[in-house]
Amino acid sequence: MEKIILVRYTEIHLKGLNRPFFEKKLISNMKGALRGISCKIRHEQGRIYVCSIPEQSFDDASDRLTRVFGIHSISPAYVVDKEWDNVVSMSYELMGRELERSGKTSFKVFARRSDKHYFMNSDGINREIGHLMLEKFPQLHVDIHNPEISLCIEIRDSAYIYCEEIPCANGMPIGSSGKATLLISGGIDSPVAGYMMAKRGLVLSAVHFYSYPYTSERARDKVIDLARLLSRYAGPIRLFLVPFTDIQMKIYDECPEKETTVIMRRLMMKIAERIALSEEARALITGEALGQVASQTLESLCVTNDAVSMPVFRPLIGFDKDEIMSLARKIGTYETSILPYEDCCTVFVPKHPVTRPEVADLRASEAAVDFEPMIEKAMEETELIIASK
Amino acid sequence: MIYFDNSATTIVLPEAADTAIKYMREQYFNPAAAYSPAVSVEREVNAARSRLASYINADAGELIFTSGGTESNNMALSGSLAARRGKCRIITSAVEHPSVYEPILAMKEQGYDVVVVGVDTTGRIRMDELSAALNAETGYVSIMHVNNESGAINDIDAIYAMVKKQCPDAVFHVDGVQAYVKMPAVRCDMYSMSGHKLHAPKGVGALYVRNGVRFKGGQRGGGQENNLRSGTTNVPGIMALDTACSIYMEKHDVNIANMLAVKRRLHSNLMRIRDVRLNGPEIENAAPYILNISFLGVRGEVLLHSLMDKGVLVSTGSACAARHRGKNRILSSMGITGERQDGAIRFSFSPFNTVAEADNAAQYIEESLHQLRRFRRR
Repeated sequence: MEKIILVRYTEIHLKGLNRPFFEKKLISNMKGALRGISCKIRHEQGRIYVCSIPEQSFDDASDRLTRVFGIHSISPAYVVDKEWDNVVSMSYELMGRELERSGKTSFKVFARRSDKHYFMNSDGINREIGHLMLEKFPQLHVDIHNPEISLCIEIRDSAYIYCEEIPCANGMPIGSSGKATLLISGGIDSPVAGYMMAKRGLVLSAVHFYSYPYTSERARDKVIDLARLLSRYAGPIRLFLVPFTDIQMKIYDECPEKETTVIMRRLMMKIAERIALSEEARALITGEALGQVASQTLESLCVTNDAVSMPVFRPLIGFDKDEIMSLARKIGTYETSILPYEDCCTVFVPKHPVTRPEVADLRASEAAVDFEPMIEKAMEETELIIASK
Repeated sequence: MIYFDNSATTIVLPEAADTAIKYMREQYFNPAAAYSPAVSVEREVNAARSRLASYINADAGELIFTSGGTESNNMALSGSLAARRGKCRIITSAVEHPSVYEPILAMKEQGYDVVVVGVDTTGRIRMDELSAALNAETGYVSIMHVNNESGAINDIDAIYAMVKKQCPDAVFHVDGVQAYVKMPAVRCDMYSMSGHKLHAPKGVGALYVRNGVRFKGGQRGGGQENNLRSGTTNVPGIMALDTACSIYMEKHDVNIANMLAVKRRLHSNLMRIRDVRLNGPEIENAAPYILNISFLGVRGEVLLHSLMDKGVLVSTGSACAARHRGKNRILSSMGITGERQDGAIRFSFSPFNTVAEADNAAQYIEESLHQLRRFRRR
């Protein structure tokens, strides 16, 4: 008998001839996630099995796999020789343990048989094992519609027996969709946006703008921490820290006050796009949600969009703040995001920012100032940090 | 580097560090052990205890060594309440350090009647409010000696007299972390001290408990510190504290005069800049080593970062509160709010600071302000 983790994957099933590519990516990502835990990964018939896991690392391994994109769910399963007596005794053992642990009483047996030469068919196994369970554990009763305990028995090369199915992160394997660059602020939204796009298979790099001395060193550390938390899902993230104070002062000094925020965002997008190009990324990602603040009105988004030619992904565009917050809690970035260090310095925020800016106006305001030398200087002084868990 | 954040912590004196090393590398024995090298260490710890107690006119037996100010403040409260029967009234001030304030507020949930007494605009406790709060049910009063942010000095002897007259049964605790050794001894039932504010290492402090005060002590275990605070004696820390305090006391008056000179110089330099306000008492009425100034039109945190780049280290308030969002409780209690609160910087001095540093710092501040004030929040 061996305890293994049975891994089910998602949409990859939908892929046609590309399927081996996705499967290979997924397995390589799983290996990355399980680094440091000795184990073997076996792939066959649309399933992945993680075997030979040391007992003390088993829970850690399961936990790490729940964060690998492309996995639909996992089950800690017991593998026994498919000899009938073994199947029965393992079922007894597992059911006994489950009853003791949970106190639940209704159950159903789910048998599957890919070995069509097995002496009993699925329906036969269901009936026979169900009958034996009822005999052995008098407190049990069968509920085929809403069972509290699902005793799953799969007859393949061996018999795989399990009760538990742990839902995982879903999505597509990281790296199966290319690269994109996330604008990360230190707030609640941007890490969630990064999570959502990584979930669709993108490799992330990230760009953060800081305005020392207006923002603190702890605010910078916080962004690094957020990138690290995100890397638990997204894999190592190349995080670029761009000094932005000089540019902000220039904007403050030379641009119309009500436009300062939008111009600032246009310049951030431009710098992010240049970094993205150097990283061979093909898109930008932001945490913007329509109408959340003045710079996220439709008009403002058009204006920021106009600053770059790359596609800009805004996965949170239709989300309410509380929906974003609950996602942030789920992925574990919320507590760090709300640490009280100012990120984008409020000192430069105009009292009455323009909410319906026009692209032509902003292009003109921006063109009136020569930002290029400052952008180049900021790019030169940009610092690269590899954030990984 | 100009270090003007000595209320957060101080540099350890080389002599104190040497003492600590001696008790780590040579005389490392556990003073509770039975062999003679250990007995000799125990004697030295008790001699140190006696000297450290003498600075507050106490006996050696009245001093309990702890890990520092926070433990002393917590233990004073919990050990006093544990020695009482029933719930009582607890009185403290609005400007206490979090290690006094938070544990007392938490007693509310346990059914104690907590009264927080306000302060005047200079940060000193309002005696009329205190007098009104002292009722027959009062069991514990905790008022700090020197405020860590404003430098305000409370008249502890007068408060002691008032408490004893109106509530003879109440225990009067004083947080002396910012005053011990630097300020003259005061009368109270309990007094908290900390080593690292006095050029000794972090992790050592003491609590004075006057003979006759009912007190149950702190953590239990091996029965050290007269069975009032168990835990292996921190010999290197205690001996280093003793060394640091002895050296401080040798030149006490010179030390105080030097710090006052630095403070006066920095203050007069800064007052020449426009839109600058002094927070706390006038210079001569405050602790000579704490100066709190508001620079209007700039956020304290931003000015702090800018000064850091020029090698001047200051703070925007208590380091113990710097990680919390929102308003500064101490300044708010003094009626200092809005722009004046946002722009507040605390300078705190040690005898190692010089008048030349005060001149240089003022010049750097002026330069920083010149740049930062261009970008006022609109």
